[in-house]
Amino acid sequence: MNGITRLYAENDVLANNNVDFEVLENEIHAVVGENGAGKTTLMKILYGLERADSGNIVFKGKEVSIHSPLDAGRLGIGMVHQHFCLIPEFTIAENVVLGIEPLKRKFFFDSERAVKNVREVNEQYGFQIDPALRVSQLTVGQMQLVEIIKILYRKADLLIFDEPTSVLTEQQINRLFSTLRKLIKIGKTIIIITHKLNEVKEISDRVTVMRKGRVVAVKKTAEIDERELSRLMVGKRVIFQFERDPMPPGGVVIELKDVTLREKGQERPLLDKVNMQIHSGEIVGVAGVGGNGLGELEDVISGLREVSGGVILHNAEDITRLSSLSLRERGLAYVPQDRLFRGSSLQSTVSENMIISNHHLFLKGGVFKKKEVQAFTDELTQHFSIDGDTKALIATLSGGNIQKVILARELATRSDFFVFSEPSWGLDVACSEFIYSKILEIRKQGVAVLLISSNLDEIQGLADTIVVMYRGRVVCSFPNTRDLSRELIGEYMLGLRDDYQKIS
Amino acid sequence: MSENGFSLPLIHNTVGIMTPFLLAATGGLFTELTGMLNIALEGLMLIGAFFSVVFAAATGSLFLGILLGIISSMLVALLFGSISLYLKANIFISGLATNLLAAGLTVVLSFQLFGSKGVIRFENISKLPELRIPFLQKVPLLGDLLIGHNILVYLSWLCIILAAVVIYRTPFGLRIRGTGLSSPTITSLGLSPTGYRLKAILISGFTCGLAGAVLTLNLGAFVPNITSGRGWIALVVIYLGNKTPLGIVIASFVFGFAESISNYAQGAINIPADFILAFPYMITVSAMILYSVWRHYREYGK
Repeated sequence: MNGITRLYAENDVLANNNVDFEVLENEIHAVVGENGAGKTTLMKILYGLERADSGNIVFKGKEVSIHSPLDAGRLGIGMVHQHFCLIPEFTIAENVVLGIEPLKRKFFFDSERAVKNVREVNEQYGFQIDPALRVSQLTVGQMQLVEIIKILYRKADLLIFDEPTSVLTEQQINRLFSTLRKLIKIGKTIIIITHKLNEVKEISDRVTVMRKGRVVAVKKTAEIDERELSRLMVGKRVIFQFERDPMPPGGVVIELKDVTLREKGQERPLLDKVNMQIHSGEIVGVAGVGGNGLGELEDVISGLREVSGGVILHNAEDITRLSSLSLRERGLAYVPQDRLFRGSSLQSTVSENMIISNHHLFLKGGVFKKKEVQAFTDELTQHFSIDGDTKALIATLSGGNIQKVILARELATRSDFFVFSEPSWGLDVACSEFIYSKILEIRKQGVAVLLISSNLDEIQGLADTIVVMYRGRVVCSFPNTRDLSRELIGEYMLGLRDDYQKIS
Repeated sequence: MSENGFSLPLIHNTVGIMTPFLLAATGGLFTELTGMLNIALEGLMLIGAFFSVVFAAATGSLFLGILLGIISSMLVALLFGSISLYLKANIFISGLATNLLAAGLTVVLSFQLFGSKGVIRFENISKLPELRIPFLQKVPLLGDLLIGHNILVYLSWLCIILAAVVIYRTPFGLRIRGTGLSSPTITSLGLSPTGYRLKAILISGFTCGLAGAVLTLNLGAFVPNITSGRGWIALVVIYLGNKTPLGIVIASFVFGFAESISNYAQGAINIPADFILAFPYMITVSAMILYSVWRHYREYGK
């Protein structure tokens, strides 16, 4: 009656730190922020997929407790996840009614009525899709529509969209936005999580900006421009003060020429003619917002994904099609973003993880020389101050210590080219700084370093050259100097500028 | 009616012999559709076989025997399901344990109760009633093959028809299939995949109990390991039947046929008995190989 949908979630962990969040009825409210700012967590709490440690939620003037998606559904809150929750083998109608199926004679599933009901929803909202189709036949945009129909069928008034445009093409995005406008017209309320600022401007009435688990601003979209938003998102932060001794540029160790990666069914290449040179003793920092090609660059350069076009040169030799094993033999070391599955074997001990890449050095007649393995492990453990039992499974270690084990292992190999992807993600300050000092140490030894990171602090603190990627393209490349402004990089990252002239 | 002296009884036999396969596979279909490899079919069947004949002898009633056999099998299924689903044991290991438990338990109990680890005959058990259902007799061509079987054969047909209806025509079936295809989706709707898996396991306990009863009540005796791999073959039947009720009927028939040939050949053809007895299993292995080759070509062959 008072017409206000009010949410208040408070959480002591970093994901959401004492967050106040408010959505008015019948508005499109955008939640923006960098990766890990806590947007998705906040929405999952609202949808009952996660629980807040403290704080409360007020919905339509009444305090409510939401323990599960069922509770949320009863209140009229629905969520479209970033990754669809659909069963491809089922028809649209079956997917939509699953869980609240219409019955005939109290026992049988009434598939005709299911189709009819979904058709009614379609007519009501002006969607044009045949409910009898199988979901596996649909395009990504249509699948999203099915998710929307699913929550509308459940009579949701508040619809949450978690990065709905990340998987869509330009046309599909337009169609989605016109759907959203239609929903607003008939009185629904919408929350949309995104980190694309042009979309915020285009679709939302108000916007909440989150950074590091906190809300830093709540504004009317009309009263704020994209530059201001980007400044709020990225924030002004202390740049790590590291001594980066000037290094005379060495020879080119790694060169990427027009590296392109395409995926079936995607119009836009994931990597679009990426050109890059990494010299000996140089740290090239690649910055970008998630979903703009950073992860793909990591995969391609570490040999885990085959490029669709272009060449990668290592010391002027073509290594484009080499397997990751031959890349390692040539001197690639790699600290992946995914440290739990790609970076380590969770079912193995710390010491096994340490020797996994060069175990042949410890073999005698096909059997490990136990003492030497132990000596090697102990040395690394001490040198990297790793906290944990080397005979225990690596899964028992904390994230920071796991990362140190991976780093120790990679550093123990003789390499001239190092790839780091999000090396400090989720780690505390002390641990991050330790890793940074190691990165600078190998730079001093003349190793070429590729640092892929969505953390601008890290890039600005460490890199000699800053490269920004947006939509799979390199949109700018600067030498890193103290007077290079964070805002400028931020604008490139968010695609607000495309005025960079390639200097070759 | 038939000019060929041996084929008609052979096929008539097959219809009877396929029943344990059909029943076990019917229940196994449910667990398979929820995405579990239920290797406990064998053990559940053995439990059903033992307890149904023991209770039938003790109570003097076939009906009570069958009922209690089914209940025993379902109780063991409940144990197996709880350990796998709630205590999160690896389902393959707990299934294997169920099979070992069934094999051990039946022998120990038969020794304790009857003082023998071997074949136990129950003289006081009446034969399973044979039915002549008039309308089945009128089915063209097949009529003679469909009549004159014992009551459990007809019950197995009822089970598979019921299973088909439940799987394809009820919300429960939709959710069972959904659980196997994408359990996160089921979770996201606030439903419990674990709940559907447990129900599926209980259903498999029900049909396996019945399947076991078919084996022992036909004989009027319990033989240690009387199931002799039929539960495993039922698992193969599910895959060969492409996880559909109709497919399962056809695949069960194939294995039933193999077994009845093997039975027939023991008396009629001069081949070593071991070889003849191995025939159904050889059929299993070759069917499995052919099936996976066929699957491979269908998926990657283009």
